[in-house]
Amino acid sequence: MEMEFNVNGIKHILEVDPMERLLDVLRNKLKLTGAKEGCGEGECGACTIILDGVAINSCIVLAAQAAGREILTIESLEKDGELDRLQKAFINNGAVQCGYCTPGMLMSCKALLMKNPAPTEEEIKTAIEGNLCRCTGYTKIIKAVKEAVKDI
Amino acid sequence: MNEIVIKSPTTLKELVQILAVADNNTYMLSGGTDFIIKMRREKINNGTIINLKDLKELNYITNTEDYVKIGGITTLTEISCSSIVDKYATALKEATGKVGSTQIRNAATLAGNIANSAPCADTVTALMALSAKVKIINGSGEIYEKKVDDIVLGSEKNSLKRDEVIIEVNIPIDLEARSSFGKIGSRTAVTISKLNMAVTFKYNHEMVINEAMVVIGAIGPKAFNSSTVANSLLNKKINTQFIYLFEETLQKQVDEAILGRASHPYKREAIRGLADDIMKRMFPQIMTGGELS
Repeated sequence: MEMEFNVNGIKHILEVDPMERLLDVLRNKLKLTGAKEGCGEGECGACTIILDGVAINSCIVLAAQAAGREILTIESLEKDGELDRLQKAFINNGAVQCGYCTPGMLMSCKALLMKNPAPTEEEIKTAIEGNLCRCTGYTKIIKAVKEAVKDI
Repeated sequence: MNEIVIKSPTTLKELVQILAVADNNTYMLSGGTDFIIKMRREKINNGTIINLKDLKELNYITNTEDYVKIGGITTLTEISCSSIVDKYATALKEATGKVGSTQIRNAATLAGNIANSAPCADTVTALMALSAKVKIINGSGEIYEKKVDDIVLGSEKNSLKRDEVIIEVNIPIDLEARSSFGKIGSRTAVTISKLNMAVTFKYNHEMVINEAMVVIGAIGPKAFNSSTVANSLLNKKINTQFIYLFEETLQKQVDEAILGRASHPYKREAIRGLADDIMKRMFPQIMTGGELS
């Protein structure tokens, strides 16, 4: 099936298999490999992207369901060679270790800040409750989001 | 040749036309949070998937004088953030806010959670305690209502025919009733219920219970309405003794339901804590031993 995808502000017309998930299209067809496949069941959050303004697991959305909607991936955060303030805050606070969860974690935090520029610690924790990290212990991630918020 | 075809109706009229030719290889796709995992696990590679997410007319939360009405594709996030649901159907707000993670709640829909009919489905327990009904449309364009309890058969089985789709959930408004929901899982967030419960109480100005509904989930193939527990609470005044009675009766109900199962010793203790949490949230004065009013 031919479908139109609006990814990071660019329109793509793609031939998509009905069984393909959004994650498959992003990684395999568009070569946007920031979103990672982890559990493949919506449990770990490594594949988190933003669809029509909210964070979702791209491993449990069929590509056909995302056609025509606004998709933002981790690749959209850097603008003109400059990292997003969230990305900078993650680096400054040591919130990245092995890095596998980081794109998903950042997109969950980005979705939060798009809706709520001044979140509480509880709201940050809720935003990343679906993102598993086995390196940082989460504390540095929360600290990074707080720093990014402070800069706004 | 095996082939999957996806159809994405944008109006109810288009949906009915598609449902009119539905067969045993027709699948409904709403939020997809359960279906896509199942599709991959069971290697479903033949048939028609009806993508319901483009039916924008089914994305709403509204109320009349008598009912809260929630469109079939409304997400759990939208429901958990709704002031209408908070005001008239507190148990559903609490239940939707506790399902999965932020990402899951952003995609999952209320109709999808009912139709998936998992024994641990949090929204089903809450909806049953709120006496909710669903509005269904079929391939002939007929629209009719059924109780949530009649839709869910248990263990991922529902009573919906191949050409039936839930288009709306209706919750009766009772301004004299209060409801609440609680769950226990293996962790505090992003957890599947090991046990869940929703209650609706009506009581007079002296805090004496007039009507009660107690629904327990994740304790059998489907959530069930325990009239034994509800009846034991009638005409009782809500105080610390009431909580003790409530917990004792619930424990007996768990004994009756799952005696001999491996989970029985855990669940007969856990139900007490769950009841305690719900009651203290509904009547926080009890925590300080104060009088209720």
